[in-house]
Amino acid sequence: MTRRWPLRAFSRMLARAYTSYSSSSTFPLKHVTKSNFEYALSELKSHVGAADFVAIDLEMTGVTSAPWRESFEFDRFDVRYLKAKDSAEKFAIVQFGVCPFRWDDHRHSFIAHPHNFFIFPRQELAAGGPSNEFLCQTTSMDFLARYQFDFNTCIHEGVSYLSRGQEEEALRRLNLRYENNGLDNLNEVRDVPVASVTDVLFCERMKNRLHEWRDWLLRNGNGGSQFQWASNHSTQQVQTIFYKLRPALCLNGFTSHQLKLIQLVTRKHFKDLSYVRFGGETSCSQQLVVYTDSKNDRDLLMKEVKDNYLKEAEMKIRAAIGFRHVIDLLSSAQKLIVGHNCFLDIAHIYSKFLGPLPLTAEEFVSSINTYFPHIVDTKVLLNSNNVRLPRMKKSNTSLSSAFSLLCPQIAVNSNKNSDLAFRPCVNVEVQVDDTRSSNWSSGVKHEAGYDAFMTGCVFAQACKNIGIDFKSHSSSENLTHNDKLQKHINLLYLSWISGDIIDLSSGNMIAEPSGSNNFRIRRPKVLFENIVLIWRFPPRLNASKLRECISKVFGPNSVTSVYLVDETAIFLQFSKAELVSEFLVLKESLERSNDAISVLHPLSELLQGGNTCAAGYETYKEICSSPISKVLFAEQADAIGIRWKTKLVGSEPEAQSQEPESFSKENAATTAPFLSKKIEVGNKQRVIDDLLSGRSRCDEVIDSFLTAEVKQIGATN
Amino acid sequence: MLRRHFRCAASARKMVSFLPWVPRRLFSAEVSKTHQHHRNWTIKQVTKSNFSETLDGIKSHISTSDFIAVSLQKTGSFSAPWHRVSPFDTLDTAYLKAKHAAERFQVLQFAVCPFTITGSEVTAYPYNFHLFPRDELKMGMPSYSFSCQTSHLISMAREGFDFNACIYDGISYLSRAQESAAKVFMGNPISANNMVESIATPSVADTVFIQRTRSRVKHWKNTFTDSTTMTHVSDALVRSLRKLVLGSEECHSRPCMNIDVCSERQVQLVIEMLQEFNDDLVPLIIPAKRGGTQLVRVVLTSSEEDKELLQRELQNDEEVQTKRIRGFREVIDLISASQKPVVSHNSLNDFTFIHSKFLTPLPTNMEEFTSSLRLAFPQVIDVNHLMKEISPLRKVRNIPMATSYLKNLFFAPVDVEIPFQAWANEGKIHGHNVVRICQLFAKLCYILKLAPNSVESNDKNLAEALKSYANIFNPYSSVPQEPIDEDIKIWTNSTIKVSCEDLVFLWGFRDMTAGTLKRLLQESHKVFSEEFDVRLVDKSCAIVVFRQPGLSKTFMDVLNDDSDIVGPLREMVSEGVRAAGYETYNRACSLGLWDAYLGDALDKAMAGLDYPLEADSKPKSPGTYWCNEWVIDLDEL
Repeated sequence: MTRRWPLRAFSRMLARAYTSYSSSSTFPLKHVTKSNFEYALSELKSHVGAADFVAIDLEMTGVTSAPWRESFEFDRFDVRYLKAKDSAEKFAIVQFGVCPFRWDDHRHSFIAHPHNFFIFPRQELAAGGPSNEFLCQTTSMDFLARYQFDFNTCIHEGVSYLSRGQEEEALRRLNLRYENNGLDNLNEVRDVPVASVTDVLFCERMKNRLHEWRDWLLRNGNGGSQFQWASNHSTQQVQTIFYKLRPALCLNGFTSHQLKLIQLVTRKHFKDLSYVRFGGETSCSQQLVVYTDSKNDRDLLMKEVKDNYLKEAEMKIRAAIGFRHVIDLLSSAQKLIVGHNCFLDIAHIYSKFLGPLPLTAEEFVSSINTYFPHIVDTKVLLNSNNVRLPRMKKSNTSLSSAFSLLCPQIAVNSNKNSDLAFRPCVNVEVQVDDTRSSNWSSGVKHEAGYDAFMTGCVFAQACKNIGIDFKSHSSSENLTHNDKLQKHINLLYLSWISGDIIDLSSGNMIAEPSGSNNFRIRRPKVLFENIVLIWRFPPRLNASKLRECISKVFGPNSVTSVYLVDETAIFLQFSKAELVSEFLVLKESLERSNDAISVLHPLSELLQGGNTCAAGYETYKEICSSPISKVLFAEQADAIGIRWKTKLVGSEPEAQSQEPESFSKENAATTAPFLSKKIEVGNKQRVIDDLLSGRSRCDEVIDSFLTAEVKQIGATN
Repeated sequence: MLRRHFRCAASARKMVSFLPWVPRRLFSAEVSKTHQHHRNWTIKQVTKSNFSETLDGIKSHISTSDFIAVSLQKTGSFSAPWHRVSPFDTLDTAYLKAKHAAERFQVLQFAVCPFTITGSEVTAYPYNFHLFPRDELKMGMPSYSFSCQTSHLISMAREGFDFNACIYDGISYLSRAQESAAKVFMGNPISANNMVESIATPSVADTVFIQRTRSRVKHWKNTFTDSTTMTHVSDALVRSLRKLVLGSEECHSRPCMNIDVCSERQVQLVIEMLQEFNDDLVPLIIPAKRGGTQLVRVVLTSSEEDKELLQRELQNDEEVQTKRIRGFREVIDLISASQKPVVSHNSLNDFTFIHSKFLTPLPTNMEEFTSSLRLAFPQVIDVNHLMKEISPLRKVRNIPMATSYLKNLFFAPVDVEIPFQAWANEGKIHGHNVVRICQLFAKLCYILKLAPNSVESNDKNLAEALKSYANIFNPYSSVPQEPIDEDIKIWTNSTIKVSCEDLVFLWGFRDMTAGTLKRLLQESHKVFSEEFDVRLVDKSCAIVVFRQPGLSKTFMDVLNDDSDIVGPLREMVSEGVRAAGYETYNRACSLGLWDAYLGDALDKAMAGLDYPLEADSKPKSPGTYWCNEWVIDLDEL
């Protein structure tokens, strides 16, 4: 079965070669899957160590879990963080591009080592794999497919990982298990119901056999010829070997139920025999019955077994860390990390490889800064005025267009020596597995490894454009502390749409310099305390009708703007903050009374059907922080347990009450009660489920069931 | 044991009674051996590229077959340990769990196999459709996103599943509900001929509106009918000006005009008014994207024949478009339209998926689900249920196990014949399960003497007999599971009969095995001196099963009173251990509190007790789906 994948990869390469430029050589890229991971990691270690900076890029299974979670212009920064957090927690990383760049003074060029890691969150450990479940956004999957993403390689061969949090948890659970359980309990079954006749017969037979074996052992003295006893029995199921210098009976080909019975028999009837299992809980574990000549010896054996067990389990946890070794490497090397519009990428890295994402952007920022002290976002860099090329449109800073504009000599390799010479260009050579090349055809866009390479090239060229001379700086320390680069480091777009930038080193929010974002259509300034959220309104009302309806009540200029969240919800911005509470009070009173006035009231058009709900902006944040994601906003509000129709806000501007809890308390008297749900966030990742452990080994279980089945049936007949 | 011997004897007797047949059967058994090796089964693999050409084939196979077997390959089945159906689930909670899974996960392969049983001969036409919910219309349909259960994908990968084939070339689809939504969204014109309800008292505003519209229509119509003006204004500039002024456009290469309307009342008025004109005007209603009517389009036809032609053209357009947006659902509709018995394995799971992906969103409870499903699929037969008929106590929950079980105990020679010509070696062949289901079903029919066309049987009676097995959606815990904690074996007698009143959920403890928990409880109160069992549902929550009726109530009273609690339990309660009866669990499922840990879900269900819930008010008479008493196999908990 596995032999087919390389074939597919090959055909993919072929397809790529045909679709890209006529040149026959594809872009040199090191693809890493679980089979070559160990080797690639050790190589990467030296490349990262020598690198001036490391470019990264991620491909995920999706971006937003519901339409109303998409990035909007009217997202407050805390809501923006919650949206990124939700995305990072729900979706999986399927590809991780890492591309270390090193300046080679002799060749006057950068040497890039593009790596393309296939990642899949398989559960290597029985308890506590990376994730039990992940979400796929249909359009994103379709998008990946359009760029020939190989899902088979990803799922069959992807490298798995454990976050730091998961590793600690796994080790803690392991230790807990072995501290709580005494030596004897290590792997013992207390009571197996010996219910059926077959079981009784089997036990009896095993008892006799073990007796025979022990007597034979004692007769021949320890270390007698093992073949004699074994040959007495035609069966291959038992075999005498030595385990930790003690004679032992190796048990093969028994079902798990039979093994349990053997264990029971050993414990019940033989003081000098111990049942031992090694090789962990995997299918390749080995069961032995070991002979010990004294109680001391027995305790010693059990201690040895236990230590062995612990060591093995720890090794398994180590091995399960997988791709996180790369993240640890990047973190410990303290190199400059370069990404393109990479806030979401960084959030993914945090949530997958470090631990559950913190509740607030501030905590996240301070935490990420300790792991990755130097991050540069090329999108921020390109939008600062002095980097851009004059002919580069501000709005067009997508990675691929920036790459072809800034680095045409790399993008289209053939005309390297042509008319581009008037501009100082950075040379880049690519090295994969000791083969260096400076001539290649274009890679596949949206393949993480190639995207990381493009990001690095764009960064190198941008550095050159702002006057950084690589020749004089040979080490990375200089680059991270370079004066010219300094003011761009650790600035990330929290949202590209609104141009909000977050400073990772301070946690401050910076609005984009006003001059630079004039390409954006400026809407009226968003004032969050003036915003009211309305959902479940009558379906035939559209934005203009809603505005009209409310203007009738509060005056023609009372509504500044209307934003559609989705088909079931809108944001309405009033001209004054007071109008928000006035509106909510009015709505509430109209709903309560049922007289002619309320029926004829102009606002009643909005309330028709009696389902219309309204609240302040804080409620949107609350709903965004829920781990649930229903497609429609109205469904989401129901799902998180909102049972009220109107949530009044205080007369003072809402923004002053930062805590939603205190906020709701303060209004508790006027609001309808609602299911007080502590929304748990960030814990999704830690869904460690013991039950699942059996699932992935389903096949073996079925097999063993089947053999047991056949045997039992055979016995009864 | 006894039962098994009895069954053996029964099968032996059967063999005797069939003696004259033996030689032929032996022969067919020989043949079947070669066919049973499933690598030889030809299963037609269908993707986007060969879908439309396959439709005709499957259509005729469905119409000529007796049964249709289905088998689904999904991206997952549960997202947390307690979300999977467990033996203590009632049909209601099992449905809610299946519903949750059907709404989250995605179907990647849908195998359909129309088959006919003639004696011991099964003629099967297996098709395996690769699906992907591609958003063909850019409307976020059929699904905005879906979940994947990691371990599920891994085990699919181990069986050689080709994910690329599904995601690259999978057939998309829309459910029936989504199709109607899509039609509204795409604004397909609706013929307005059949809506003639006159408005009794037109208001002043109505009259003004009508007059204005009438004169517009008249003017517009005149420009086309009056040939003299036509020649004058044939100039392109004038024509485009006219287009601007009159809002005139073309519809199916006929001139048409759009009339904006503000309400359904105005739609009525316009249509009524248009009847004043000759028959050559055809009004079409263009729906708005958010429901209601956006505008009325008036199309000018040249003659009565032309009018009919236009109607046909519109219908044709719609059919083509519908076919495109329905995608794979066309197959579901074919199966549904045939009204033939549909055979599946674990029907509750499969049909919740089918209902939610291809029909309409799932209703809130089991009762509504079965009645809604029955409209589309009148007879659903679960091989699991037939299996239970043969061996009520044995757990043969997967197809290979069931097949080997039958093979050892019964003489049921069944030969599967797949008349498909061997396709050019396609490499990966998926969808064997559906053929295994056919085979198993045929064997079960043979054993239960339900096989059609066998010599001594009457077909009509058989259909009746089969009906008694249909539409029974028993929950089955489908996955052979390992206990959470190998250490616990506290059960003495594994299969017991309990009522849901005897079950108590206990949560809020930390890192405890069921054994420890049981010991602590034993030391705590006299109710625990009687026999009882403890099992972990997940690591946060345990279920306590009392053997003696009434003890659970005593226990709950004790917990609520708290003066009586002594020993370790007191310690546990002060550390936050809580307990609740089955109704809280039921409530958590009905409210959709699918937290990762059952403990959290129960906490929330308790917190929301002030709210009356539909499910709570439902009468819990034993006659409904609430089953008060059932047999629990504790080994499966």
